[in-house]
Amino acid sequence: MPDKMKLFYVVRYFKWACLLIFLFSALISGCTSAKLNMARDAFYNGQIDQASGALSSAEDVSTRDQLLYFMEKGAILHHAGDYQGSIDFLLNAAALMQDQDVISAGQQTASMVTSEWLTDYKGEYAERLLVHTYLMMDFLMLGNHESALVEAKQALEVYDTYPEACFADYFTRALIAHCYEAENEINGAYIEYKKLAELMGDPAPVARKLCTLGRRLGFDDEVEHFRQFIPEAELKRNVRPAGELIVFVSQGKSPVKIPHNIVLPPSIRFSFSTYEDRSGCLVPPSVGPLADAGPSDMITTDVGEILKASLKERLVAVIAKETARVVAKEAIAHNINDDNLEVLVRLVFFLMEVPDTRCWETLPATLTIIRVPLSPGANQIHLNIMGQTVTLPKIDIHPGNGSFYHYYSIRNGMGSFSSMGDAQSGN
Amino acid sequence: MFRNFFKKSAFLVFSAMILFMMTGCSATTRDISPDEAIHYDEGYDFTDKKAIVSDLVESLLNKPPLVSRLDDRPVLIIYGVANRTSEHIETDGITDDLRQEILQSGKARFVNKVQRGNIQSESDYQYGGNVSAETRLQRARQVGAEYMLTGTLRSIKKKQPKQFRLTKKTLQYYSLTLELTDLQTGLIEWTDSTEIIRESSKPFIGW
Repeated sequence: MPDKMKLFYVVRYFKWACLLIFLFSALISGCTSAKLNMARDAFYNGQIDQASGALSSAEDVSTRDQLLYFMEKGAILHHAGDYQGSIDFLLNAAALMQDQDVISAGQQTASMVTSEWLTDYKGEYAERLLVHTYLMMDFLMLGNHESALVEAKQALEVYDTYPEACFADYFTRALIAHCYEAENEINGAYIEYKKLAELMGDPAPVARKLCTLGRRLGFDDEVEHFRQFIPEAELKRNVRPAGELIVFVSQGKSPVKIPHNIVLPPSIRFSFSTYEDRSGCLVPPSVGPLADAGPSDMITTDVGEILKASLKERLVAVIAKETARVVAKEAIAHNINDDNLEVLVRLVFFLMEVPDTRCWETLPATLTIIRVPLSPGANQIHLNIMGQTVTLPKIDIHPGNGSFYHYYSIRNGMGSFSSMGDAQSGN
Repeated sequence: MFRNFFKKSAFLVFSAMILFMMTGCSATTRDISPDEAIHYDEGYDFTDKKAIVSDLVESLLNKPPLVSRLDDRPVLIIYGVANRTSEHIETDGITDDLRQEILQSGKARFVNKVQRGNIQSESDYQYGGNVSAETRLQRARQVGAEYMLTGTLRSIKKKQPKQFRLTKKTLQYYSLTLELTDLQTGLIEWTDSTEIIRESSKPFIGW
């Protein structure tokens, strides 16, 4: 073939390669996640309304990122105090997760020679659990204990399906136990508190609950066992709280996925992602001096820990698919007889190998549930969160009205107080 | 000639395929009889509601204490059906159907618990000075309920264990238990339950 002709083909291949790469890049990055990124940036700048507005329509986000759209919008609305709005979006996320149980053969085949970005985002196992966690919080904030219990049961299904990835989510387990307790399903509540005690290794944060519920169920021997985790002075005082304040505290930013690459000759590129922390060491929240009702209990989940555990749980599947993709690409490139074309195909495959770094980015670094016992009369509670004192509205408890729950959800992501809401319910 | 025939056949097959695809993609609607049983998955649906309500109403009306009270139509109040399933089910639909079927049987009457607030405000309005004394309602004439009807909807879901297969099977169990409590004595005078067990399978792989 004359040199001029050869050059003509090389230029033509190069043009095609450039076009393919451009189209692929536009497909996976540009417009697909622009709105999501805008919303996340606005959210972490404290502009909650702009964050919500950026995700005003599902059509603004790629169909492959619909789950992220529902998750991000649901979390943003939760922290804006729009609990019903948050429920609407997160229920859509939960429904979509169920639909995504079916593996799409078309997407999987396409991703074998391109990238994971071509597949629908299905959420890490911990993210799937946290959808139900946020729904539970939303329903509790609205005083709808029955629907919160429905979500608690769905969360238990996720725990059963992915036990290794989710076991360290103590916050969600405590929330599940509370949902059972609030609906007077004390046997279910006792079982969940007991599981939590076993998983945490230290029953102290739930010992009071286990003793109270165990006594009602007649589990005297177990009550005796859990009493040893309650301070002696408290047992002697024997004060029964007239109500309970439950505060959900979200602090910091959850870790995000960052890309990694391993390059081997001639043009083999293994790409993968890992979670990288965005928050430094966070000071746990604390409750200011309390009246006579007793000390508060606190249970925290390190969101980063469960996200990393989820990714680790999928590691074998990720490596297997990555290897299969590399083999498929090598086989295609190897079977091209034209050297110039082979080089260009290898270049395209190399550049297409982009690690999938999609994740739910508006999650906090830690989630803490604080249970504060309330005394009859006016209760003024002060919380210390990230160096700030947050004073909650005064809560009046009238004795003889049964046990009352008061809920607050506080996000302190950027060192400033973001949002707060409350609801109360008695049973 | 053979080439011409081949061309024609290919054209026909291609046209048929396009037609088939277009038919498959077009939107359709059809009316369904309320009595027709249709289940898209193992979950609770309107067909289940009809079946469980009619089973339980039949039992309630044909067993004591209501079966022996044919003459005086006892007054009942419904305190709702508690949802203890793992699905968001609007149980108000069940109580509405229960009330409707029992009322239509003519064997009992109901206190309108849902409209109590509106009844009170209407009463307050009539006594507010705008309504003539002859036409306004008489206070303290409402009828007290004799029995309270309550219920619980429960579910148990079991998924097929993880193993190599092309479909995933799910077994779903629902039970609705109703109780009739005598408000004077606090005794449960009647209880019954109805169950639905359904298996469904879902493919693992699709397009």
